[in-house]
Amino acid sequence: MTVITTDEVVCPPRAGTLYDVLDLILDRGIVIDVFLRVSLVGIEILKIDARIVVASVDTYLRFAEACNRVDLERDSQSRTVPELFGGASSGARKAGAKKAAHAVGQKVKGALGVGDEDGEEEDSEEEPEEKPSRSRSGARTSTSRTRAKTSR
Amino acid sequence: MSIYVYGVTRAPVDLPAGLRGVGDPPSPLRALAAGSLAAVVSAAPERLRARRRDLHAHQNVLLALAEEGPVLPSRFGVVAADAESVDARLRAEQDSYEAALDRVAGRVEMNLKALTVESGLNDLLRQDPRLQRFRQEARRQPGYETSIRLGEAVMAGLTRRARAAVDEGVTALTPLAAEVQPGPEVEGCVRNTSFLVAADQVPEFRRVVEEFASRHSGEVELRVTGPLPCYSFAALPAAAGA
Repeated sequence: MTVITTDEVVCPPRAGTLYDVLDLILDRGIVIDVFLRVSLVGIEILKIDARIVVASVDTYLRFAEACNRVDLERDSQSRTVPELFGGASSGARKAGAKKAAHAVGQKVKGALGVGDEDGEEEDSEEEPEEKPSRSRSGARTSTSRTRAKTSR
Repeated sequence: MSIYVYGVTRAPVDLPAGLRGVGDPPSPLRALAAGSLAAVVSAAPERLRARRRDLHAHQNVLLALAEEGPVLPSRFGVVAADAESVDARLRAEQDSYEAALDRVAGRVEMNLKALTVESGLNDLLRQDPRLQRFRQEARRQPGYETSIRLGEAVMAGLTRRARAAVDEGVTALTPLAAEVQPGPEVEGCVRNTSFLVAADQVPEFRRVVEEFASRHSGEVELRVTGPLPCYSFAALPAAAGA
C-alpha cells in the first residue's frame, strides 16, 4: 500500500507527481475554442505511466502460477504473495513478463527523458508510432490489460 | 507571432518572479489583460512538444498563479495566433470566464487514482468459488488455456475488488468536495477521480484518504495528488460537454 501525498502548492511538483497527473494536464483544462491546440508529436506516448506494466498474456500466466502456489488449507498470513511471485523468478514466464515490462519502461523513459533530473532530455521524435491511438478510445482489450507495479 | 496560453485569471496579474515558461530557452511570461480578465502567456516555441520540461513548466506556472488567486488552467498545448485574438476571446467570454473563476476560487483539485494490489490474491482465491474452480482445472489439466483462463479471472477479480473499495472511498470523500469529476481513463488505473476541494479542507481530505487506504490496503492502492490547478473544473458552461 502506498499513499502518496504530494507537494504543497508552494513546492514544484516532483517528477512522479507530474506522471500521476499527465492525464489531467493533457486531457483537462480549458481549450479556448478559437485557439489552436497544436498537434504534439509524442503526446500519446506521454500518456503511458512509466510504472505501468503491460499485462497481457504474460501477466495472466504469472497470476496463474501464483495461484497454484497458494495453499488454501494453510494460514493466509504464512506466505505473502510477493514471496510467491519471488519464488517463481526462475520461470521463463516470469522472465518474459519482466522483459516485456522492462521494454515498455525503457520506451517510456526514452520518450520522457526519465532519469535526467535537470530536464535535459534528448529528442525522441522517432517514437510516435508506439502509441497510435488514444488510450481511452478502447485500446484496452481482454488480452492487453495493464496493471501497475506497486513500488515507486 | 503565435502565443502559448497557460491559463486565464483575473487582472491585474502579479507574475511571480523566476517562473520559466515552455520552450528552450523559455520565453518570458507576460499577462495580457482584457477587461477584468487576463491571460498568462508567452511566445510559443517553434516546435512545441509534450516534453517533460515543457509539461513541468506549464504545471509550475499554473501552480504559482493559483497561489495568487483563482486561475482557469489551459490544457497543455493551447496556442493562439496573436495577442489580439486572445484579447477578443477574453472580452467576448468575460461573463463565462468570471463564472468559471468563481467556481474554482479558494479551491484546489485533488486527484485520486486507484490501482489493483497483488497482495489481495490469497483472500480473493479463498472467497471466489469460480476462481477456485479455474484453479482446479488448471491443476488437473495444466496448460496454456487453463492458465490463461485462471490468470484472466484473477486479474478481473483483483480489479473488481479494487474498484469496489475505491468506490466506497469516493463516497467517503464526496462530502469534503464541492464537486467530483471522473478523470480520463488511464491504463492501469481502476478508477481516476478528481475532487474540487476548498483549500483549507486539503489536510482533512488527505487524512480521510490515508485512513481509508490503510484499512483497505489488501484491496486497492490509492494515489492522491494535489493540490493541483483545477484542470478538471475549469470548463466554461458552454464547453462543459466538449
